[in-house]
Amino acid sequence: MSEQVKQLINQEYAAGFYSDIVSETLPPGLNETVIRFISAKKNEPEWLLEWRLKSYTAWLEMIEPEWAHVKYDDIDFQAVSFYSAPKSMDEKPKSLAEVDPELLRTYEKLGIPLHEQAALAGVAMDVVFDSVSVLTTFREKLFEVGVIFCSISEAVHKYPELVKKYLGSVVPQKDNYYAALNSAVFSDGSFVYIPKGVRCPMELSTYFRINEQNTGQFERTLIIADEGSHVSYLEGCTAPMRDENQLHAAVVELVACDNAVIKYSTVQNWYPGNAEGKGGIYNFVTKRGVCHTNAKISWTQVETGSAITWKYPSCILRGDNSVGEFYSVALTNNYQQADTGTKMIHIGKNTRSTIISKGISAGKSSNAYRGLVRMNPGADGARNYTQCDSLLIGDKCGAHTFPYIESKNPSAIIEHEATTSKVSDDQLFLCKQRGLDAEKAVSMIVNGFCRDVFKELPMEFAVEAGKLLQVSLEGSVG
Amino acid sequence: MSDFQQLALQLATQQQSPVWLNGLRAQAAVDWQKVIWPTRKTEHWKYTSLASLQKNVPAQWAVANDSWQQDVEFVAVDAHRLVFVNGIFDAASSSELPAEVVLFSQANIAQQAVIEQYLGKIVRGEQHVFATLNNAWMNEGIFVHVPRGQIFSRPVYVVHVSTMSTQPASVNQRLLVVLDENSQAEVIEHFVSTAERQNIFVNALTEIVVGDNAQLQHYRLHLEEENIQHVGAVHVNLLRNARMRGFTLALGSRLKRIDYQINHRGQGAELDLQGVYLPRNNQMVDYHTNVQHWVPHCTTNEVFRGIIADSAQAIFNGRIYIHPLAQKTLAELSNKNLLTSNKAEVNTKPELEIYADDVKCAHGATISQLSSTALYYLQSRGISRSEAEVMLSFGFINELLQQVAEPAVRDYLLPRLAVLFGRDQTLLEMAD
Amino acid sequence: MLRITNLFAKVEEKEILKGLNLTINAGEVHAIMGPNGAGKSTLGNVLSGRDGYEVTDGKIDFNDKDLFALSTEERAREGLFLAFQYPVEIPGVSNMEFLKASVDAKRKHHGQSELSAVEFMKLARETSKRVSLDQAFLKRGVNEGFSGGEKKRNEILQMMLLEPSLCILDETDSGLDIDALQIVANGVNEMRSPERSFIIVTHYQRLLDYIVPDFVHVLANGRIVKTGGKQLALELEEKGYAWLEEEAV
Repeated sequence: MSEQVKQLINQEYAAGFYSDIVSETLPPGLNETVIRFISAKKNEPEWLLEWRLKSYTAWLEMIEPEWAHVKYDDIDFQAVSFYSAPKSMDEKPKSLAEVDPELLRTYEKLGIPLHEQAALAGVAMDVVFDSVSVLTTFREKLFEVGVIFCSISEAVHKYPELVKKYLGSVVPQKDNYYAALNSAVFSDGSFVYIPKGVRCPMELSTYFRINEQNTGQFERTLIIADEGSHVSYLEGCTAPMRDENQLHAAVVELVACDNAVIKYSTVQNWYPGNAEGKGGIYNFVTKRGVCHTNAKISWTQVETGSAITWKYPSCILRGDNSVGEFYSVALTNNYQQADTGTKMIHIGKNTRSTIISKGISAGKSSNAYRGLVRMNPGADGARNYTQCDSLLIGDKCGAHTFPYIESKNPSAIIEHEATTSKVSDDQLFLCKQRGLDAEKAVSMIVNGFCRDVFKELPMEFAVEAGKLLQVSLEGSVG
Repeated sequence: MSDFQQLALQLATQQQSPVWLNGLRAQAAVDWQKVIWPTRKTEHWKYTSLASLQKNVPAQWAVANDSWQQDVEFVAVDAHRLVFVNGIFDAASSSELPAEVVLFSQANIAQQAVIEQYLGKIVRGEQHVFATLNNAWMNEGIFVHVPRGQIFSRPVYVVHVSTMSTQPASVNQRLLVVLDENSQAEVIEHFVSTAERQNIFVNALTEIVVGDNAQLQHYRLHLEEENIQHVGAVHVNLLRNARMRGFTLALGSRLKRIDYQINHRGQGAELDLQGVYLPRNNQMVDYHTNVQHWVPHCTTNEVFRGIIADSAQAIFNGRIYIHPLAQKTLAELSNKNLLTSNKAEVNTKPELEIYADDVKCAHGATISQLSSTALYYLQSRGISRSEAEVMLSFGFINELLQQVAEPAVRDYLLPRLAVLFGRDQTLLEMAD
Repeated sequence: MLRITNLFAKVEEKEILKGLNLTINAGEVHAIMGPNGAGKSTLGNVLSGRDGYEVTDGKIDFNDKDLFALSTEERAREGLFLAFQYPVEIPGVSNMEFLKASVDAKRKHHGQSELSAVEFMKLARETSKRVSLDQAFLKRGVNEGFSGGEKKRNEILQMMLLEPSLCILDETDSGLDIDALQIVANGVNEMRSPERSFIIVTHYQRLLDYIVPDFVHVLANGRIVKTGGKQLALELEEKGYAWLEEEAV
């Protein structure tokens, strides 16, 4: 491929700056005292402290999973700080006017204005900075229709029954190593409750930012869509460029009650590390939703960031006729490693799931789809369709497919297909002959390859995702 | 070490073998003690439990027995036939053998040299627990050597008969096939048991090298009865422009695990591998295939189909691995499954691991039912629903049987499977 | 032979047949013509009892039996035959096996003994000659890899073997060249008898040059809107269907 393409490389990771904000950061290390500190800092009720400590005890007994197709040095959990918050957040600001202007500037630089007048029309946003939620916009407007959208710390105080009932109900404390860790030390995150029959009038969104050095981010998101309700939620994330790896271990739990619909979209752009594979976020995330009768959960993810991604947004299709969907674009470049996919657990009758996964590997990266489709004995008439496609750009990268397909029901139908291909010289030649440069040609081909997933994203973000992909691919053609 | 490991070690010491195999055996016995015994947490044994082996340790060597003749029918093929009963060579039932087909114990010095060159070298023992065991247990084996440019006019047909033993007992089997360049051969491995209740554990390992421009047709048929426990494997190296056409079929049993490890090591090699599994009752079958492309310009076409009835379980793991140098690879894998009962279970995992970009790879797996359109078509001709289902189920695997290149194997399998499906075999024979 | 009274039928919640009436006596050949989407194929599938074709009203008597009380295979054994517009390919199931199973099922239903394999082979070979189908097709999978014409001839072969009393040919002429069309038509004509009736569903009148019908019906909007003799088919060829559809609304 052409020289001029090579010259187009090395666009900086645009979100890689650091904000000079005075923070209160716990010294590195993890022990009971740290957990008690976090809990006290948030003035939590006793039950939640107990819940955290129980998770911590479980975590101590667990071992780090090794089955994923990723390689990294052991993580020294004692070298990670488990809590960091801007000093100015000691007293949570009651309005935008009280927010530290430096913080606001950070978000403006990221292209996320927090003034409601300037904000994206129709999107309410919760903004999480290191370990705390800074601000949630459009709260009043949402509250008018009964929608609760706030930080999870706040929800613990204001809506303890809901939190108590659902926290850990989808992802149990001991579910896996990182979920247990998160359950012990989670600092903040978003909480959403959509009442019965309400169609949430705006897109809800959380923006996660890691800023402080040597800090892990452990957020927890809980979304409850009550019977017949409807919500679309989007998360985005970025972090400064640093030579050290930083840990992000989040847990997301979704509950879709009867006839409810939750659409959860992610544009993940954590710092991926530099071209030599130094630095970057370790993104070890547990996301799972449970669908009751006739409910639907749709996960859409565009994963371009992180040094390592370990993530399997899943659906437990418990109720009859419930629907699970997973649409994913995962792009890895340079030395990035991704092991991502989904689990669709069919329990109810006539449950349906669709999995569309598009993996793009470039540079020296490794990109694996790992999925599980399980038909339980009661899943009469259930159906799954899976399509996993990999696109390789260059001959130093890897693309892998590990689908686990299990059925115990003779009336269930599962279809799985996987293909792999490259951006062919013929395709490139055709594009160039029609006057496109190689960079544009590849970007076009890749966008086409991802179309089935992008069309699932909320409109405002689909364009964004396309651009992000283009930036992430730079330097890969050559 | 587990109980089985301990006893297996004792069994190894009781085994007599040609002296020149001692080195290999001794090393294997050492390795065996370091083996990490597979549990359900071991990825490649995730769905298959070795508990039955642990519970009912086959703590002695099976002995010869001649009460099997009326129960076992051979494939009607004009072949160089070798019959083993409970692992022991039965000369009376075997045919006269050409110089190129010998038992390890009867190999001449030159043959010993070739055996030593390949034996235990094609299989990667450290990755395959039971291959290590097979090395440690080896007392005898079959060596098939097709010299350069030679074309075997008759197939080599190896029959392994298992019979009832007074106590749970073990059998070790080894086959080494070496095709030198430009040669051609056909090898049929046929595992069968008498109709009695079985308590034999068989570890049957086959190593194959298909040389430059050589061609091999290979069959591995598992028609043993329900209670046999079998852990077997076929390890193959394909050299430049080698061509292998493989077919395997397995009825289920208490434990039946068969691994295919195939390596494309020479450019232009071609592999066609087809498999059928048909577990019923409480049986299981576990096929693990791993095709590795190490060099450019090779082709793999793999098709496995299974029908899982009653309370049976099937496992299929089909991996295609493309190493960084293996540009211009074409590889395809298809796995289709039919569950015919509420208690049947299938776990399939088609895997792709790809480290080269200019390749075309695809896999597909389905678990489904019979086509409703086809069922309607049959019913509209007066055929009852239940009979239509049986016809279509049989058709599902018959599609693969029809492609079996060796007519004698096809003729042997068709009526037997037809009976399994309750089909009229005379008509099948006539239609053929 | 067949009396259809006020038939209403739905497919996937869409009403296709809306009060269809038709009576066919033994020995008659009825052509049913009509525009695309009029419900022609639906009629064949309803008569044959295909899943997903829901009858919401009306009744059908077939040889003095209530057709709806019979399953698909019972209707076939009672002598109702549907030649498919798109014959289904069934790889792995040999044509011979399939044909014998059908013939045996019918014989058994009528208290006759099953044919021996030898008897059946002889019969099948002779019959395949009548439709100019090479015997090799008997060995292959049902319709597997057959050309369009071969599939249709295989349908006629089945019809001959099963000797039905009512034959429904669903657009059997579609996709046939003139030679294949003649073979199919000859097969049908050979089978015409005072005891046997035919419903020829077709879009064009071409087939009716070879199989001359006693009656021609126009099916539009789910009902028979016009009935006539052979002449009507020619008229339709000339004027199309639009004038009748308008009347039908």
